Amino acid sequence: MTAGAAAAIPRERTAGSHPLMVGRPGDATLTDRLLAPLLRAPRGWGWLLLLSGLGALAMFGAMGYTVARGIGVWGNNIPVAWAFAIINFVWWIGIGHAGTFISAFLLLLNQRWRASVNRVAEAMTLFALTNAAMFPLLHLGRPWFFYWLLPYPTRFGIWPQFRSALPWDAAAVATYFTVSLLFWYLGLVPDLASARDRLPGRLRRRIYGVLALGWRGGARQWREYRMGYLLLAGLATPLVISVHSIVSLDFAIAQLPGWHSTIFPPYFVVGAIYSGFAMVLLLVIPIRRLYGLEDLITTRHLDNMAKLLLAMGWLMAYAYIVEAFVAWYGGSLYERYALLVARPLGPYAWLFWLMIACNVLTPQLFWSARLRTRTPVLVGGSLLILAGMWLERFVIIVASLNRDFLPSSWHIYKPTWVDLTILGGSISFFVFLFLLFVRFAPFIPISELRELRHELAGGERAP
Amino acid sequence: MTDPQDRPRRPEADFDLPPDVPFDLRATAASGELGRRDFVRLLGASIALAGLSGCVRRPREPILPYVTRPPGATPTAARHYATSMTLDGYATGLLVESHTGRPTKIEGNPDHPASLGAAGVFEQASLLGLYDPQRARTVRFGARRSAWQAFAGELGEAPMRKAAGARGAGLHLLLEPTASPIVHELLSQVRERYPEAHVHWDAPLAGDAARIGSASAFGRPAHPVYDFTPTDIVLSFDADVLGPVPFGLRYAHDFAESRRIGSPSDRMSRLYVIETAPSVTGGMADHRLAVRPSDIPRLAAGLAARVAASTELGSVPAVPASGYDRWLDAVAADLVAHRGRAALVAGERQPAEVHAIVHLLNLALDGVGRTVRYIEPPVPAADSGTGLSALAEAIRAGSVGRLVILEGNPAYTAPPELEFARLLGGLADSAYLGLYRNETARACRWFIPGLHYLESWGDGKAWDGTVSPVQPLVDPLFGGHALIEVLAGLAGDARRPHELVREAWRTRRSAGGATSWEEAVQRGVVAGSAAPSVPVKPVGSLAAAVGRVGPDGGPASSLELMLPPSATVHDGRFANNPWLQELPDPVTKLTWGNAALLSSATASRLGVESEHLLEITSGGRSVTAPALVVPGHADGAVTLALGYGRAGGRGEGDEATAAGVGANAYLLRGAAGAAGAWAVTGIAVHPLGGSTRLAVTQDHWTMDGRPIALHATLDEYRRRPEVAPGERGRQLSLYEPKPPPELPQWAMVIDLAACTGCSACVVACQAENNVPVVGREGVLDRREMHWLRLDRYYAGTAEEPVALTQPMLCQHCEKAPCEYVCPVAATVHSPDGLNEMVYNRCVGTRFCSNNCPYKVRRFNWFNYNAEVSETERLAKNPDVTVRARGVMEKCTFCVQRIREAEITAELEGRPVRRGEVRTACQQACPTQAITFGSLADPGDDVTRLRDHPRAYEVLHELGTEPRVRYLARITNPNPRLTPPRA
Repeated sequence: MTAGAAAAIPRERTAGSHPLMVGRPGDATLTDRLLAPLLRAPRGWGWLLLLSGLGALAMFGAMGYTVARGIGVWGNNIPVAWAFAIINFVWWIGIGHAGTFISAFLLLLNQRWRASVNRVAEAMTLFALTNAAMFPLLHLGRPWFFYWLLPYPTRFGIWPQFRSALPWDAAAVATYFTVSLLFWYLGLVPDLASARDRLPGRLRRRIYGVLALGWRGGARQWREYRMGYLLLAGLATPLVISVHSIVSLDFAIAQLPGWHSTIFPPYFVVGAIYSGFAMVLLLVIPIRRLYGLEDLITTRHLDNMAKLLLAMGWLMAYAYIVEAFVAWYGGSLYERYALLVARPLGPYAWLFWLMIACNVLTPQLFWSARLRTRTPVLVGGSLLILAGMWLERFVIIVASLNRDFLPSSWHIYKPTWVDLTILGGSISFFVFLFLLFVRFAPFIPISELRELRHELAGGERAP
Repeated sequence: MTDPQDRPRRPEADFDLPPDVPFDLRATAASGELGRRDFVRLLGASIALAGLSGCVRRPREPILPYVTRPPGATPTAARHYATSMTLDGYATGLLVESHTGRPTKIEGNPDHPASLGAAGVFEQASLLGLYDPQRARTVRFGARRSAWQAFAGELGEAPMRKAAGARGAGLHLLLEPTASPIVHELLSQVRERYPEAHVHWDAPLAGDAARIGSASAFGRPAHPVYDFTPTDIVLSFDADVLGPVPFGLRYAHDFAESRRIGSPSDRMSRLYVIETAPSVTGGMADHRLAVRPSDIPRLAAGLAARVAASTELGSVPAVPASGYDRWLDAVAADLVAHRGRAALVAGERQPAEVHAIVHLLNLALDGVGRTVRYIEPPVPAADSGTGLSALAEAIRAGSVGRLVILEGNPAYTAPPELEFARLLGGLADSAYLGLYRNETARACRWFIPGLHYLESWGDGKAWDGTVSPVQPLVDPLFGGHALIEVLAGLAGDARRPHELVREAWRTRRSAGGATSWEEAVQRGVVAGSAAPSVPVKPVGSLAAAVGRVGPDGGPASSLELMLPPSATVHDGRFANNPWLQELPDPVTKLTWGNAALLSSATASRLGVESEHLLEITSGGRSVTAPALVVPGHADGAVTLALGYGRAGGRGEGDEATAAGVGANAYLLRGAAGAAGAWAVTGIAVHPLGGSTRLAVTQDHWTMDGRPIALHATLDEYRRRPEVAPGERGRQLSLYEPKPPPELPQWAMVIDLAACTGCSACVVACQAENNVPVVGREGVLDRREMHWLRLDRYYAGTAEEPVALTQPMLCQHCEKAPCEYVCPVAATVHSPDGLNEMVYNRCVGTRFCSNNCPYKVRRFNWFNYNAEVSETERLAKNPDVTVRARGVMEKCTFCVQRIREAEITAELEGRPVRRGEVRTACQQACPTQAITFGSLADPGDDVTRLRDHPRAYEVLHELGTEPRVRYLARITNPNPRLTPPRA
């Protein structure tokens, strides 16, 4: 434990009115409590798994149909050649960002409150990325040639075209997924070892034993583990910024009004973290309720995340204002039309204003300290923000494409049932993966909480 | 190891009989009995040869290729054959490109006066009609399959006598009016054999008004042939002379010549158009008056009175034309001021008195001999009492013993009051020859599958009387029999069509014709065979013609219905042609159907908007069609195009593509020859409350102040020739421009002042580049694949909109936005300045389309070519890749033609000649609005025009540096009718 971390704890305790951990359970109690969900599913888990599994199956069915028949089964057209697939991609990848932000960014910044939620957030990142990664492949006209976007040695003697953002995009997402997976798994190792050591049943022990990679919990192991974890956090942190910056370049390098903007990288990163935190809240609130973990994931956590939502919401509002201002100030006929006429007054105006309501007005609720800890408000607000962020990508992509330079080619876009099935199915698939995760993996980092408890107790003993 | 001697020899190597001899004959001829080895050898040979020849066969008779290569279309593997296509009775000369015996593209014959090298939409798209798998294949008697021999037997002496009497009194023939000499010669042979036989003529678009009008003006039927080249003023009364009418290609060419303004000082003609629904010609008008159909004769009369007052024509009673006085005064003064250089044209749909007025005014304004000449009508005058109504009467009277209908589709096109289909169905002895088992075929006892003109021998005459032969390019694909074969059968002439035509030709030649048969077939035209002018002198007075003008259509609140032919499927005969069904209407951009066209004022009076369903009722019959609001449509009128609403199932010979597309406007038509044939007064229009989606390819009609399709008046152009200052050339850039390599640098210039929007280029591109059809649903989803589209914008005021047509294709940007966003380098730049699309590298991210500001890229959303039938595949151009699903495609500047020219030049050891490469769109364009060439050649037209003062780049501001530039459109308004713009 570093000196800085120790020094920070008392301040943390006194700064907020809500404690980070209610009560001081002993190590063994904590471990047993947190391993208990691995033994028995809560009521309704099976039904939820079945429902979400069916939704995921519907998505895979719709995807198979798309691959068999062609992208034409979607609502895309010329001019709107990108729509749901790219919206879903950006949305999911954005959601993924909060996980890395919490586990790596906040770790480096010594924000101790991250401990009880970071595993959930990391899993969310992984599952969101799994969802996200399917879409760029699926949206290709000939998805079986997706590997042409990767720089692999080939007898064609041809490389990807590196001036395009898309090969970089493929590289960024692949890197991000790899680092996130390693980071998540590395964090899991000590807890998997706990599961191996303490859970009943031969098969279970064998499986967790293999997964624990021979973890013994020795001091030397801990030392190297800590170093590795810190290094990975250092690697993951720039990815929080870079991945979504590169995703934003998929749009920003184009000259389409509404895409062609230098504000896009920070704007997209903020939006990503914004939607990610909303998703973390949405996942954490039912979990703490279902598993009775209110003492570990306390109102302090909820309060902190709601504050972050408020801050991010304002950053988004700033981005929206700057986007419109620059369009006006730049004086381009086409930019002005796209951002000052087509968006607020065009065929998708209602979606634009709905997006503003969701993304800018909703977080204003969190000025109130009381509302920041009211779970129904938090759940509702998070849902609205997630919907708003999806709409934002819809507005950016579809509402820019459908009215570009030549009015002769303007055309409206409407999704088909396949589009809607894939979107709904991808949410189901996410829930499905998450349900499996909370059932079979320790979703609260046991070792980190034990450590936190010791830190907190130490702080109490030595004022 | 076997001895080399014993190895089986390659079967095709020792097979030396010509492929024309059927295999079974050769086999028996060779040995009498088939041994095992012979059988295997033959099997191998037939497979090998089947691969060589495809599944089309050349005609049995020798056909002669066009010996002199047309400019730009250098045939290597491809050969060009001259032929001609007859539509509405008049022929247009064509060159048909043929690859390994299959016609793949139809182009205009530069030697033919009706084409001058251009080809219209119908001519070009007729190629697909040849290969239509839905064409009928079987001779039928009732529902039963029968054989040609059975039918031919019926035409013999004894059965004929039994059915129609010895002198043929009961024999009735129904044909479409045609100028074809062989048809008329055979008919006279039939008449010789059966002196009392009746020959009826009917086509839905043919009328007698023009003939009656000229007869009342000149005392004889005279057929006007215009020459717009020297005109200063053209005034059209509902005549779509630049559109899809006979000789329209030539007229468009001449009209463009009369206003090709290279420099501001050049002469430019002025076009006035009076019409109801906007047409191609109306779109080119400098002043256009949109009026109800019943107002047009009154405006003609009003104009006649004004012109008469200032010429020596004598007084003409004034016809009130309130509201249009200023317009008519200005036009009359303009006409009189340009005596001898003015031309008035009356449309085929106008009543006889308008034709008479127009003819007399042309004479009075000294136009005859200068801007118009009169010839003997190429379609011989029909006897009186020979129309469809006479036939219907004869059927009712029971005097029809045997009816033979040769082509056309009267059961569908006949005016409903004749109840022709019912009468036809009641006949015991009737026969129909046609390409499809259509409405008429189903009502007749006998059905004979007909022949496409690319499969048959024949001849035709152009609008100006020029004679041209029709030679087949393929043996009939689906069996079938030629119209002249049936006529010859009736005449008792056993010769085959080829012989018939050739012998008739030789007979005529010995009577004074100059061109030999072989030469005529090679050139596709008999040089100098245009009909000589006939002198005309006024017989009827202008006052008398004006006196015959009827009353107007009543109060402005009553609606009138206009029934023009469709601009894409014509009278319905092309309704089964997917290229034409998917070709956007030049004005409304509507595909796959028709709609009730309305002005916005009329629509709001009816309380409807576009896509709302309307019920149009006339004479107790009603038709349901969706409304479509069109800028520039006359108030108080509704326009519904003919040719849609076809019946048909899914059986062999059924027009399944056409079935159920659009509404059948023929149901609202009045009797043939009467005024109600084209314009119906006193109709009732009711909104039905529902709506349907219209497959329109363009949703927005204004430019929103963007510099896209630029235009200026002649005055403005003369005052300041630089029409679009700063809209071309290089934009500021951080990078030094790279000098292009020492290669031709391909570029295109499109003159918006010459483009009429006729859409010939769109079909040319589709045929040349194997562009697939996506169907109505595809168009509704905005997935049409046309590489070249015609954008249409409206400028000016709502009352008098200026229609601007802009061909939009890949601009081949030097700094192409599509190229740098492609992740796999599937769209790249060639050293000679083409923006190239590498289909087999494309993975289909569609980023290029998103970043294309012109939105000219097309995506294969489905595997469109998988749905193409076996026969239609034969129409594909073998020089162009057929694209698979999931890849992007777009205009290539006809790269296959460029490369072909380069290869030829290389083989001949010379550089590519100036003008050697012509793109398909450029070649088809009747007005030569498209110029293509190399910028590396300082003497090339394209280099000169690229820096023309009118030249500009669309979206120049973006710095894409397109290789396509446009020349701003120039209009020539009458200063008396337009307040000068500040």
